[in-house]
Amino acid sequence: MAQADKKLHIGIDLGTSRSSTAADNGEKRWITSYVGWPKDFVAAQVVGKEVLFGDEALENRLSLQICRPLERGIIREGIERSEEAVKAIIRHLVELVSKDSDARIHAVVGVPAESLNINKLAIRKAVSEYVHSLMVVSEPFAVAYGMGQLKNAMVIDIGAGTTDFCIMHGAIPGEDDQRTNLNAGDHIDEQLFSNLSEKYPNATFNINMVRQFKEQYSFVGDIDDEIKVEIPVDGKPVMHDIKDEMRRACESILPALIETTAELIAGFDPEFQAKVKKNIILAGGGSLIRGIDGVLQEALKEYGSCKVTCVDDPLFAGSLGALKLAQDMPASYWETL
Amino acid sequence: MISVLIERRNLRMKSNILRGVFEDNLRVLGRRAAPRWGTGFTLSRKLLLSLCTAVVMVLIHGSFPSHQWFPESQIRAGLLYRQPVGVPDLRGPAGALSGEVFQALTENQEVPLWRLLGMGVKTIMIDPGHGGRDSGAIGTRGTMEKDLVLDIARRLKSKLEVYDDYRVVLTRDEDVQVPLKERVELAQRHQADIFISIHLNYLPQKPINIIETFYFGPSDDVKTSRLAEKENAGSEIGLNNFKEMVEKLNDELRLVESRELAVSIQSSLYNSSRKHGSDIFDYGTKQAPFVVLLGVDVPSVLVELSCLSNVEEEKKLNTESHRENIARYLETGILDYLGRNKGEALYGASR
Ligand SMILES: Nc1ncnc2c1ncn2[C@@H]1O[C@H](COP(=O)(O)OP(=O)(O)OP(=O)(O)O)[C@@H](O)[C@H]1O
Ligand SMILES: [Mg+2]
Ligand SMILES: [Zn+2]
Repeated sequence: MAQADKKLHIGIDLGTSRSSTAADNGEKRWITSYVGWPKDFVAAQVVGKEVLFGDEALENRLSLQICRPLERGIIREGIERSEEAVKAIIRHLVELVSKDSDARIHAVVGVPAESLNINKLAIRKAVSEYVHSLMVVSEPFAVAYGMGQLKNAMVIDIGAGTTDFCIMHGAIPGEDDQRTNLNAGDHIDEQLFSNLSEKYPNATFNINMVRQFKEQYSFVGDIDDEIKVEIPVDGKPVMHDIKDEMRRACESILPALIETTAELIAGFDPEFQAKVKKNIILAGGGSLIRGIDGVLQEALKEYGSCKVTCVDDPLFAGSLGALKLAQDMPASYWETL
Repeated sequence: MISVLIERRNLRMKSNILRGVFEDNLRVLGRRAAPRWGTGFTLSRKLLLSLCTAVVMVLIHGSFPSHQWFPESQIRAGLLYRQPVGVPDLRGPAGALSGEVFQALTENQEVPLWRLLGMGVKTIMIDPGHGGRDSGAIGTRGTMEKDLVLDIARRLKSKLEVYDDYRVVLTRDEDVQVPLKERVELAQRHQADIFISIHLNYLPQKPINIIETFYFGPSDDVKTSRLAEKENAGSEIGLNNFKEMVEKLNDELRLVESRELAVSIQSSLYNSSRKHGSDIFDYGTKQAPFVVLLGVDVPSVLVELSCLSNVEEEKKLNTESHRENIARYLETGILDYLGRNKGEALYGASR
């Protein structure tokens, strides 16, 4: 039974490709967002667990029915499984940082801000068994809060499935302050994959390899270095120059990024616009693309002077922000929920 | 001194934000936990009574087969709702008849999580009203509502399909009669994310042309009830569904979303029509007890695109360009609701 006086605050960033979790006991973990169940009895014997997560699930994928719980594609495989997967992964994320289970757990979960904006109830249902009190917030909002950027700021979270935009003006952001588009990491992977398939029709590679190339060499704009990677051709490893393909793939998200940023800002009064433009913050895995802050800042120039920066730790910016929210939240609020 | 002031202001801002987050979450919770009807009893009873009246009207004027009258006590079901546990079984002989409809309407599919997370392929269901022997309204030159709305629905479908993200399904793609119950089932079977029923209005006493958009809810406006009664013909809903109706109604989440969808569509339709010189009036968005909207478990609206009783409008509706325009305005309204028009749409479509 939970002890009333012992509390543990947890912040969770639930992502399509990666999820992270942080608690005020100092624990901080992240996993790739995979969940896998043994395919059959034999597989269960082999892996020795009922359910596997993250890279461990990926490594055992031949024995598992595996999914990325929040991925769009999963829908086809049946709805129940993906609901179960979300539940399992949240539970796992809670357990990763809360070994000490007799504390009351107060958790804030950041989720992608989306258009239909009715996810909160579902998340709440999924985790109510594992935490004592819970709040759900939009992911970019959690990032902003964590950085103390409560007003005159814009956070752009370039994730795997979606890019989420959020304007901060001293209050909790509403619908008009947020946007989402689908030009994010997965989109770059697909572009890079097709660019490479076109240029090297005889080479064999898959989307995971391509993603690794991206995470190692991604860039936009101009760079001096060469980008050479090893891709097997007819079974033999051959070095290929993929600089052009990489640039084109990474830059493919720019038009929508620029346009959405400009449009969202344009909805506010001029004085506020000027302030927000001086404080645009990039977060999410996509903010690691080399040169992206500079290119965005340059592109937005035509709308007036801008300043674009990247968060220090994109992997944990969301979960640490959520944790900060959890800690700052008055106790009476937690008790009511 | 100044820094102290700034500090204070920041603190206040922070605590405002925290309260905002809290209230936001509370509201989500409250939508399920505390029914809206819990407070403001007098008001809710008034709403319920008017809803009830509407239901009765539907029953009387719809194709409900056995003319069973309902005792006063049941009509005052507003009282019943206060003690949901003890709600007497209202299933009379009529109940057996409409058991199937009932199930289609009330089967509780929890909205799947992936969809709530906004990750899903969005399935848009377009419901051209009437069809087959049910022609809907007929203009003075003989133009039939059923044909016009089907044509516009098809145009709308092909427009929305330009965006790869949406699966667009019509409840009918031919001139056939589809009972309302089946339309509801179709929406469920296809797991529609939003549902848009399209109709044309008919105002015999007035020469004017109007646009209005409805989402499900009680109405104490006689005109609206009358319209609902027209559009509901063909359902077999019985009073035994009453409690469920109210519960559904209580699903505020869906209500809020439906209202938003209605507002987007209505403003796009009206603003664009007016810009293009139509002499048309904005009757806004309203709640109305349309059966087809009640049954669908996702944001759903019924649009009365314009008035077939207006002679000028009937002429225009017979031109392809006018129907194409209407489809475009609908498209814009839907995309606005989906939050898409602000940026992404520019890339999705080649306009
Ligand atoms: N160095 C890098 N350069 C470019 N992209 C990267 C880099 N590192 C990670 N990414 C990409 O960032 C994405 C993951 O970012 P993040 O963890 O913020 O996403 P997520 O939160 O899981 O997704 P979403 O926010 O869409 O739910 C992946 O597409 C990943 O390939
Ligand atoms: Mg994310
Ligand atoms: Zn009609």
